[in-house]
Amino acid sequence: MNWKVAGQAGEGIAVTGTIFAKTCIRHGLWSFAYGEYPSLIRGGHNTMQVSASTNPVSCQQKLLDVMVALNEDAIALHLDEFTKKTVIIVDKKNTKLNWEKYALSSTIFDLPMHAISLETTGSSLAENMVALGASCALLGLDLAVLKDVIKDAFHKKGEAVVAKDESAAEKGYAYTKEQGLARAETIAPHPNNQILLSGNDAIGLGALAAGVQFYAAYPMTPTSSILHFMAENETRFPLVVKHAEDEISAINQAIGASYAGVRAMVGTSGGGFALMVEAVSLAGIAETPLVVVEGQRPGPATGLPTWTCQADLQFVMRAGHGEFPKVVLAPGDIEECFSIARLAFVLAEKFHTQVFILGDKYVLESAQSIVRPAEDWTNTRYSLAQETLPEDNSYKRFAVTPEGFSPRSLPGQPHGLQLTNSYEHDEHGYATEDGAMTKAMVEKRLRKIDAILPFIPKPQLLGPQDAEITFVEWGSTKLVIQEVLRQLNTTHPNTANAIHLHGLMPFPADAFAELAKRAKRLVMIEGNATRQCEMYIREQTGITMRERINRYDGRPFFAEDIVDWVENQKKETKTL
Amino acid sequence: MNTLSDISLHTSIFPTWCPGCGDFGIWGAIKKALTELAIPEEQLVIVFDIGCSGNMADFLRVYGFHSLHGRSVPIAEGIKMANHGLKVLVIGGDGGIYGEGMGHFIAACRGNHDITLLVHNNQTYGLTKGQASPTTTKGVKTSSTPNGLIENPVNPVALALSAQASWIGRSYAGDILYTTEMIKKAIMHTGFSLLDVFQPCVTFNKLNTHQWFQQKIYKLESEGYLSNDPAKAWALSNQEDRLPIGLFYENPDAVPYHKQLQQLSDKPLVQQFPTHVSLKAVFGEYA
Repeated sequence: MNWKVAGQAGEGIAVTGTIFAKTCIRHGLWSFAYGEYPSLIRGGHNTMQVSASTNPVSCQQKLLDVMVALNEDAIALHLDEFTKKTVIIVDKKNTKLNWEKYALSSTIFDLPMHAISLETTGSSLAENMVALGASCALLGLDLAVLKDVIKDAFHKKGEAVVAKDESAAEKGYAYTKEQGLARAETIAPHPNNQILLSGNDAIGLGALAAGVQFYAAYPMTPTSSILHFMAENETRFPLVVKHAEDEISAINQAIGASYAGVRAMVGTSGGGFALMVEAVSLAGIAETPLVVVEGQRPGPATGLPTWTCQADLQFVMRAGHGEFPKVVLAPGDIEECFSIARLAFVLAEKFHTQVFILGDKYVLESAQSIVRPAEDWTNTRYSLAQETLPEDNSYKRFAVTPEGFSPRSLPGQPHGLQLTNSYEHDEHGYATEDGAMTKAMVEKRLRKIDAILPFIPKPQLLGPQDAEITFVEWGSTKLVIQEVLRQLNTTHPNTANAIHLHGLMPFPADAFAELAKRAKRLVMIEGNATRQCEMYIREQTGITMRERINRYDGRPFFAEDIVDWVENQKKETKTL
Repeated sequence: MNTLSDISLHTSIFPTWCPGCGDFGIWGAIKKALTELAIPEEQLVIVFDIGCSGNMADFLRVYGFHSLHGRSVPIAEGIKMANHGLKVLVIGGDGGIYGEGMGHFIAACRGNHDITLLVHNNQTYGLTKGQASPTTTKGVKTSSTPNGLIENPVNPVALALSAQASWIGRSYAGDILYTTEMIKKAIMHTGFSLLDVFQPCVTFNKLNTHQWFQQKIYKLESEGYLSNDPAKAWALSNQEDRLPIGLFYENPDAVPYHKQLQQLSDKPLVQQFPTHVSLKAVFGEYA
């Protein structure tokens, strides 16, 4: 089922959507929630949509079963999402519309949300609860489950608020039944082990599971909610969270904390990351472990603050003056956000390097139901100097080793004194301008690339082994491509498969080439205009792709659009 | 256990500063102060900024971090938050701390991070060969201001006061014994301490010379000054005919940043590595 709520910013659109998604999950349905909102506190058009199914879902769907329209824009801006089967919930008395203008074939369900809310709660604030009750009736969802979710969402506001919201939902449900619109066939709730996580939540949880102890950031969409998540958990875990005066300070504080021995992470978006780049280079020569989350949004400059893109790949891969190793991982869905966050800390500490988690607004702020990850996690420390160091002070922090990294002493450790230096340095850390030492240090650091490569997630083949079309995508496009494959292969098996890339740097070239070799027709899909990953693949493997779909209007891909592209290609081929 | 001493601090690299540089005096005072404080050698971290002063990184054998220009302060804050058992000293110059790193300087004062910021204030950029710095006197001709500097200089003591730093002192590199005592007090203060040190640059600053300072400076305590009144400290920080050195202001009641974090009340963060993590309490909110 595909449900959506749309209205003005400030009307509680996101909360309404989350409650609906959780209601679906508690029925045992898989859910995906996707929101669109402008960069405003109030006013402007906000939407949240939920796809739910008994089968796994990984993205939003264009065509809606139910639209909760809280204003005229909720209809006017979404005409291509309505079909004959769509039910549009609207409060006709409250939302004055010129209905003839729209020539809608959908069912218009006039729900007096305003009046019911006023009558049951004394205020208009519970209109969305009325709509949620009605939505449950329309779609055959259990009212008791909705009430449970409402209780959990608002229990902090007190019993009175919960009781009012519950009764508003009840009235909405009852009114829908009275109108004869309730779905006869109901969905029985059954217990399950799913939770609803956004990518940001999953990265935060993955980081906690990995033993993060220091998180510093300066707020910026789309990663601000990682800061909120971490701050919320600051006293539950041995964790210090710092909202720094700017991104420059945030990353330098994290480098300092990491130097002192704790696992550290920062989060930002492209503009904030631009300010961090100087320190990326510092951590490169200092060989300080660090995890950096870069949540992409369209630029240049302030760009489209609350929309999505995949246009910072080359920027992040090339960030920092000088040559030093880096790891870039791009989670493709919510599970990967969790697993990659955990992996990032291990790689950063093991190899004394920086690991970038390259997300985007789409995967970071969308929420997906996943099977609850394990509750208990165990962490080990890596690449630290032995506990008791020789008393003759012969320990060398930057010893030139075959694997490229050398055991690290921590301040406070006897006989481990060392200088961590932004200047090129000798094995103790003291500055050097010696040519041979410089060359040895450059080569030592770059040797880590070979050491890291076996730990980089390999490209994944999604869909059937053999297919007419092989899509190549990276990061969040996995969410959409899974749905594309479902749709294409249901009607015509083996139409398409996909190579999903989440380990990008160092690039698993051999594994990619192996998969690409078997493809009949490669089509690159990515969310930028300059074909950043396509060009990178060409650079790393020599493989040239001749077909591509690029999107750079701030919107995520929609499965339907890609399916249409494939269908249109078929037609064109026929006419040739 | 080795405590810091002249011998423990020794590296085989001899300073690259110009003969007569004020940095020699500060270097001597730092070594003397650290020796007298008898801190275990592994319990001190010095974060160095970039510049002639920061080059001291190679001349002191300590746990050190030679950071970037202007970024030493946030590095030091991160170290202190991760391991508040350590003494953390920052060594930088007027360019890095009051220019490129001005925002970090103010934020560190406001946060009352328990670090000591020692600024070699030579009123010029030495390492890049004599351009105007944030503390250069208005009108001075330098390689970057051949027609005379247009801006007014920043006043570090007044800035720190307005940002509610809890310990603000000034010294003069030519008086090693006095500077030693000031460094010791700054390090022993619990909370943020700024020690601005007049440091003659014999190569590029022909105005603020040793002789110039020696005619102008006087010690605050010699005139019965008490360091507990921000308004008086403010007035004195603006004095130009005579230049007071000593402790301008001290707030012994200010609670440092790390002592306001309840998760650090038992032991330093670095000693609480989460070998076992349970996410149980967090998952509930997402079901």
